[in-house]
Amino acid sequence: MSLLRRHAGEIATILVVAASLLIPRFTDDPLPISLANQILIAITAAFSVYLMLRMNLLTFAVPAFMAIGGYAAAIAGLQGGVTDAIALTALSFVAPAIVALPIGVLVLRLRGVYFVLVTFVLSEIVQLVLFETPQLTGGSNGLVGMPSTTAFGIELADNASVLVLTAAVALAAALVTALVTSLCRQHFAAIEENEPLAQSLGLVVWHYKVLGFVVAAGLAGMAGFSLVNMLLTAHPTSFGPGSSVNYIAYTIVGGRTSILGPVLGSALLVTLTNLFSNQGQYSQGLYGLLIVVVVLVARGGIVGTAMALVRRVGGLRPATAHLATGTAAPRGT
Amino acid sequence: MTSFVTATLIGVSLGAQYALLALGFTLIFGILGVVNFAHGGFYVLGGYAAYWFVSAAGLPYPLAVVLATLVTGILGYLFELLLIERLVDDHLATLMLTLGLYLMLSTGILITFGPESPLFEFPLNGTLRAGPFYFPIANLVVLAVCLLAILGVYALIFRTDLGRALRALADDRQVAAAQGLRPRLLFPLAFALACGLAGMTGALVTPILSLAPHVGDPVLATSFLIVILGGLGSIGGATVAAFLVGLVEAYSSVYLGGSKGALALFVLVLIILVVRPSGLFGRIAREA
Repeated sequence: MSLLRRHAGEIATILVVAASLLIPRFTDDPLPISLANQILIAITAAFSVYLMLRMNLLTFAVPAFMAIGGYAAAIAGLQGGVTDAIALTALSFVAPAIVALPIGVLVLRLRGVYFVLVTFVLSEIVQLVLFETPQLTGGSNGLVGMPSTTAFGIELADNASVLVLTAAVALAAALVTALVTSLCRQHFAAIEENEPLAQSLGLVVWHYKVLGFVVAAGLAGMAGFSLVNMLLTAHPTSFGPGSSVNYIAYTIVGGRTSILGPVLGSALLVTLTNLFSNQGQYSQGLYGLLIVVVVLVARGGIVGTAMALVRRVGGLRPATAHLATGTAAPRGT
Repeated sequence: MTSFVTATLIGVSLGAQYALLALGFTLIFGILGVVNFAHGGFYVLGGYAAYWFVSAAGLPYPLAVVLATLVTGILGYLFELLLIERLVDDHLATLMLTLGLYLMLSTGILITFGPESPLFEFPLNGTLRAGPFYFPIANLVVLAVCLLAILGVYALIFRTDLGRALRALADDRQVAAAQGLRPRLLFPLAFALACGLAGMTGALVTPILSLAPHVGDPVLATSFLIVILGGLGSIGGATVAAFLVGLVEAYSSVYLGGSKGALALFVLVLIILVVRPSGLFGRIAREA
């Protein structure tokens, strides 16, 4: 029972994402299908931010790894003729993870601000590389004309089956995120709470940080594959360095203390952005406002605040409550 | 030869602008330990404020630059006093706060002035001719003002009591506070100084380059680049690195084309961050 409660967020997330597989059964209206596609891609990418925030590391590199995953899948389809969805998903996870490994080993010995700056610079580099390598990536034209993805020999070409694939990728990402954050829950929490103490107690901190970074890169790559598959093109503008802010906003606003945070945050913010579709450029201001509000008054975001309310009303035992929500308390230097 | 001299001049002018921007950025990091993601936003705000003072209020351009500097400085002061101050020791929280402010600031500008670039021209045009070389007067004036401002910042930081107090806070906040310096009074001032510098650069430079709501993004990226190259928090390092980056950008756009120069700089920065986080020139000015 306590195991179930401790993993309530993970279970709920997996159920919600799995349920989205069924959306095409209820509607074939392109609008909700497109919205669901966007939300699921946002969730997949936001898991990447969430995983890093578990260790109190903020990453701006999500678009960089999305680009690596998305382009890897596109190139495999175009030049290698690979169309199998499972192979492409695996490739989009592995390719950015391999790139992330040496970077992580070198960078994660540094702390806080330096890591943030490295990820920021990384996004800029990948964007420039995309433009400067036209033979491989098509440069400013991007890559088009990938063969349709197939699953078990069935072609996934229409709207509904693209959504099913996006949902399946998001589900895989949710399972990976839940698995890693559950297995390393205490290690990540120790790093987040008090890194020097964790280190002094014998935790090889940078091993776990590198593990988290590599998996987070892979998750972002899967989101990149879903995005390329939905848009039918791999283009540098899909992976602009500025878009990293969106994924951070989804995670922070939804709540960084639970895996449900990125899910709720993505669903809410992507829907809102679509609502004022013809004023879409103003959505950034809304994200900014929400980030400021969350940082100043509601550290746990939507999920954290809701859980704090539930705890206050229901009066859970403090120890369990602390485990269930993680920690949202501001910390000193 | 002609193109080399012209590129050098462009590089030095870019370097002077970048130095002003990077000085503000590195001051905030060195003194407060805050990575200011809103720095590019204050640059854009300075440009638009000067544009508004000239076009809507009908003021002469030099006065508009001064007022734009004041406006951005005051906004920076309030921002530090009201928001950053609450969380000043939490790097991640202040980083996200400034990020949120940047998004709000650029959206506010977008709503107020629209997405189109307004017509905002430097009041002086014409070129100075020396043999085969042509120098646009506007660029020379901006270069001179930027160099003066850099000297001013140096004088302020290294020759006045305020500067000594700020450097003391950057070196060791607890000891400085024990000596009677008050962070609560000085932090907003430092933030105002840095934001004012960004706003002034925007007011000076956007009439020559371009003014649009989104021009803050590359400014932020360049500030990062320079500050990392020079060593986070180091004032001298930032100044040297700014001119280095300006010259590399100018030469590479003349001789290489495309974004190869920028790519080379970013890769250099990544390598520096990994193997020598204290920057090209020096010591770690502040533990991150």
